[in-house]
Amino acid sequence: MPYREKTAWLSLIAMTVTFGPYFRFVAMRSMPGALPDLRQLGLLAVAAIAQALILGAGHLYLRRGSAQDARTPPDERDRAIMGRSISSAYYVLIGGMIVVGCVMPFSSNGWSIINAALVMIVAAEVVHYGVVVLSYRRQA
Amino acid sequence: MEGSISNRIRTLRFHNAEMSQAELGQRIGVTRQTIAAIEAGKYSPSLEAAFRIAQVFNLPLEEVFQWDAKATG
Repeated sequence: MPYREKTAWLSLIAMTVTFGPYFRFVAMRSMPGALPDLRQLGLLAVAAIAQALILGAGHLYLRRGSAQDARTPPDERDRAIMGRSISSAYYVLIGGMIVVGCVMPFSSNGWSIINAALVMIVAAEVVHYGVVVLSYRRQA
Repeated sequence: MEGSISNRIRTLRFHNAEMSQAELGQRIGVTRQTIAAIEAGKYSPSLEAAFRIAQVFNLPLEEVFQWDAKATG
């Protein structure tokens, strides 16, 4: 498996195990608390720190396992896959930001807007890394 | 007009002392996985990479890569 595919899997897993439970908690809550709602802010901080720790440890582990691959600069196919994945994620992010920034302020407030923005960012990242994984799987 | 690019890289590697995908990749500046994708016809290399591959085998480009055109409509 190419090194860049492994790092994409790592990012997908890190996002799933950290922001998955966070969004589950948010969805199960009947009413979002008023800002600043330190409990929710704390949970968000825990999710973000856990993600950073998993990514840091994972990258260290992967670099040790395939040091040569990690040092190799991306070639033309790697760059093409990167470009394709970023442009796919861009459409998700821009669509999400239009909803969050231009529509939601008329109907929602506080944590609802913050969480919706987070969902869109995470969705864009999932698309980004998902396209990377799919492209390497299909050898495209 | 639709079409597909095919290539003889696998055969040419075999006839060149069974050169490995990694070695060919190293000589033209791409990864082993990219050579595997090109051989399988899943990835079309840039013109520059195609010329580099042909140069490794000392052959003109058209003897390494072929364009199979299929007219549509």
